[in-house]
Amino acid sequence: MILLGAILAGMVVGVSLASLHKRPWSVPPLRKPWLAILSFLPQLVFLYLPATRKWVPDELTAAGLIVSLVLLLVFCWFNRQFSGVWLLAWGLFLNLLVIAANGGFMPISPQTASRLVPPETLAALGNGDRFGYKDILLLPEKTHLIWLSDFLLPPVGFSYQVAFSPGDAFIAAGAFWLMVMPGKALEAPKIILK
Amino acid sequence: MKTQIAKLFVFTRMINRQHIQIVFALLALVLFVLGAGAPSDGGIVSH
Repeated sequence: MILLGAILAGMVVGVSLASLHKRPWSVPPLRKPWLAILSFLPQLVFLYLPATRKWVPDELTAAGLIVSLVLLLVFCWFNRQFSGVWLLAWGLFLNLLVIAANGGFMPISPQTASRLVPPETLAALGNGDRFGYKDILLLPEKTHLIWLSDFLLPPVGFSYQVAFSPGDAFIAAGAFWLMVMPGKALEAPKIILK
Repeated sequence: MKTQIAKLFVFTRMINRQHIQIVFALLALVLFVLGAGAPSDGGIVSH
């Protein structure tokens, strides 16, 4: 939800800025969109579709998630000329790193998870159990690269509680930036020699 | 009936290659962020 919110917010800001400067705005013409769709397929089958998710063993799901993330990195490479894609790629790389280091799932600590589900739900789960779609409940001392895991949370009073990783924050920033400046490529700083 | 078919024909002619590319690019971006990101709101817990 927060990531789709970043796209939507970027679109609103992008359209507003474009109309302010009286220039046209369009969705970035991403190259090889079929690759992103293809990359998402393993996640759709193994993680999101209720009919298939329950039949897939965790090992296969973990492998599918890693393959999917690697393919998405390739998609980033084909679209590296667009502004924002480097942020997307960096966030994706950080998530891939921590997921690969923890058996193919994004680790979340019981303390963080306690902000998301009722205590009785959490009590029924043990160390190493799946949590949400891509997460795995892991004690901090059992977690590799804990500073890249889902440990970030909005303020306590916030109506929508969600745990996210630093990688997710980069992905949200990248998606926002891509929609604000859809046609602009990141330019290297120009050095003028005198 | 003929009018409706004519209207449909005009509408489909308005959907050009560029529109399809835009829809594909947007779909790719949405699936990218859903695929690359791993936030959790505790959605489904049991598997």
